[in-house]
Amino acid sequence: MTHIGTVPLTIISGFLGSGKTSLLNHLLTQSEGRRITAMVNDFGALNIDAELIAAKHGNQIALANGCVCCSIGDDLMRSFMEVMQQSPLPDHIIIEASGVAEPSRIAGFASVDRQLRLDGIVTLVDAGAHNVHSNDPYLADNYAKQIEAAHLLLISKPDLADAATLENLENELAAQKPNVPIAQMTHGVLPINLVLGLNAAEEIRQPHEVIEHGFMQWATHLPPQPRAALITKLENLRPHVLRAKAVLQDDEGAYVLHLAGGRISTEPHEGKASGHFVLIGKPQMPDAAALEKIFRQNEAA
Amino acid sequence: MNPHVPHATHIAVRDGHILGVGTAENIDGWQKAWGPLALNTDFSDKTLLPGFIEGHSHMMEGMFWDYHYVGYYDREGPDGTVWPGLKSIDEVVAKLKEIQANRKDKDTPLIAWGFDPIYFTDRRMNAADLDSVATDCSVIVLHASLHILNANNFVMEAADVKGADNSEFIRRDESGQATGEFLGQLGYYMAMRTTGINLLAIASSPETLVNFANVARQTGVTTATDLVNPMPAGSENAMRQAVDADDFPMRLVVAFQGNSMEPAEGVARMQELQASNSDKLRFSLVKMVADGSIQGFSARLKWPHYFNGAPNGLWYIEPERLGDYLKAFTEAGIQVHVHTNGDECTEVALDKIEEALRAHPWPDHRHTLQHCQMATRAHFNRMKALGVGVNLFSNHLYYWGDAHINITMGPERAARLDDAGGALAEGVPLAIHSDAPVTALAPLFTAWCAVNRLSSGGVTLGNGTQNISVEEALYAITMGAAYSLKMENEIGSLEAGKRADIAILADDPIEVGAEKLKDISVIGTMVGGRVHINQGRSA
Repeated sequence: MTHIGTVPLTIISGFLGSGKTSLLNHLLTQSEGRRITAMVNDFGALNIDAELIAAKHGNQIALANGCVCCSIGDDLMRSFMEVMQQSPLPDHIIIEASGVAEPSRIAGFASVDRQLRLDGIVTLVDAGAHNVHSNDPYLADNYAKQIEAAHLLLISKPDLADAATLENLENELAAQKPNVPIAQMTHGVLPINLVLGLNAAEEIRQPHEVIEHGFMQWATHLPPQPRAALITKLENLRPHVLRAKAVLQDDEGAYVLHLAGGRISTEPHEGKASGHFVLIGKPQMPDAAALEKIFRQNEAA
Repeated sequence: MNPHVPHATHIAVRDGHILGVGTAENIDGWQKAWGPLALNTDFSDKTLLPGFIEGHSHMMEGMFWDYHYVGYYDREGPDGTVWPGLKSIDEVVAKLKEIQANRKDKDTPLIAWGFDPIYFTDRRMNAADLDSVATDCSVIVLHASLHILNANNFVMEAADVKGADNSEFIRRDESGQATGEFLGQLGYYMAMRTTGINLLAIASSPETLVNFANVARQTGVTTATDLVNPMPAGSENAMRQAVDADDFPMRLVVAFQGNSMEPAEGVARMQELQASNSDKLRFSLVKMVADGSIQGFSARLKWPHYFNGAPNGLWYIEPERLGDYLKAFTEAGIQVHVHTNGDECTEVALDKIEEALRAHPWPDHRHTLQHCQMATRAHFNRMKALGVGVNLFSNHLYYWGDAHINITMGPERAARLDDAGGALAEGVPLAIHSDAPVTALAPLFTAWCAVNRLSSGGVTLGNGTQNISVEEALYAITMGAAYSLKMENEIGSLEAGKRADIAILADDPIEVGAEKLKDISVIGTMVGGRVHINQGRSA
């Protein structure tokens, strides 16, 4: 299925105080040209620099960079109705779920709307509060569901926890969600395409490697290669690879490959394969030279 | 409900208020000061009670009457038309076919409501049923619970219902095919997106409000609540215009949706709304919703949770945030009604109310728990100690009593469902409600439920200690509800100086007795001295 004309939906889930607002603030202000509409619980908490705000009416704030922020006001359905009736539709929708929301329920909106598609559920886990939250007498089940629903787990406030705590937490989460990428995030700062998806269509003039906010991004062109081989190479890079996107050619035709939320999927690509390949991962990921070697191996196959 | 004159033969009314109640002789004396009083004997063979007060309903009750009722029980519309109940899925489908055959614009969406699958245990309605009604337009059947709807394939194709990810909200058959049943807000969202009909806008329109008032009037209600409304800026003006019209047959109390904005902003908005209060329209309280519903398995229950093993329900707000809101409104002297269904949620709500009261002591805050269906005696006891009132969802006993015994709660805990007797025994101020449109709005029926505790399957819930007397039930639907709305000095009883709000009944409920309480005909109402006569008829 192609996704032309659909708006990707990202859900940011996590308990009160887990850093959702900081992350959202970062995504909105560093949107890199994406016109994001964010549905939030509380504008006030967002604390966006006044100079970035272009207009403010009722339950909406328009930012100078084309992003819009609207308050959910406890009525998600009403918010979706308002946002999806906009013209043009936003490039991306982000929902800041309430601390007790079940993100999989919110994701359901994407499955009954032709113009929406779920890009992913990002669940924030507060490094210092994990033990408290997972034993909360009223909320422990809720907390588990949020982690269970995640396509990306972000450990927030790692700077406030010691190394052993962090390691235990990562191990525990990895055991619970073996294929879901897990990364650390400080003050909500990370490469936004880790959360919002890679755009392989962006011009890649030459292969490059970027270290940004402690994450490594590698972009290059690859010659035709079979999708099965590419999938295997990516599998071998787990758990350090977090997201990938490729538009390549093999004997069956042009295809798009996504690695997102721990899942690798391919779908036919209409038109010519550009050869674009983008990868984002943890610092432990092999460096550009090593990656070149891996992904160009047996390329004639 | 007037303790000094519990029974009277005459009532005098002036300027929208009660001048006097008692014998002809008692009343006569008023003529010296107030001039001649004309004797009206139209209702001399009827029974006059204080106008009924529905302490938990939603104006959305008025929105569905432009669509087609397909519920199990007969239901009376705002114009007095009685819509006959449909007793099988086949009857529902046959009715829809008849509607489709007879309507002019066959391409427009066909929307029906009130369908309740709990009575049809042999099978569930599916897309094929509705495809047999029409394949070239949307056919949507909203369930009575308002939590589920059925759609035909036309709708599902328009929505591009896809993926198996959300099977929790899209009912699927064994082969993974969507059956056409959609749970929760998803279904409504899909219905609106595919039909272009904005039910949200219709739900808050003045026409809906008028329909709502007329449905309520048919049942003897003179004051009803719209118990949760986000009240977007300026929306009070249209509401005020509709309600203040002379022929609008009801007073309306609107509960502001607390978490539609941040606590401080909510306080400011409430103060702004209160400034626009009138005789008939009141913004006096805030509603907070803390969990879901028992029959939807979304209520938060204490261990051992659901009888059928379903996972525990949902919080609709973080307990911590509920506490923040309660503190802010308590500090500002604004009464809060908290929706709690499950016993765990009731307990958390009481914790948070207690915290708010420790921070901002307020005698007679009268915060109230709404529904509060699974409260234990210990909870009622604590409510008494904290000064918290309760408004129980007594209609549930009838509509879902069997399901609570067999599926959700099990027989032991179902016995204490909506324990009005327990609330009174512990000294908690009591009101009872319908939550219309979730169940039919009719205070005498609600009273009947609380008195008899009989399920639709014919089972009595509890051992008798949970039942209340007819007198107590009548008090609950008048003074009890008035007290919960802090209006007991204005309405709820027939006493000199109070508003002339009266329910006119064909029979005396005390004489008729417990079993037939629900069958008493309502002749009409008086609201602020103005008479509104019902006109019943059959569809």
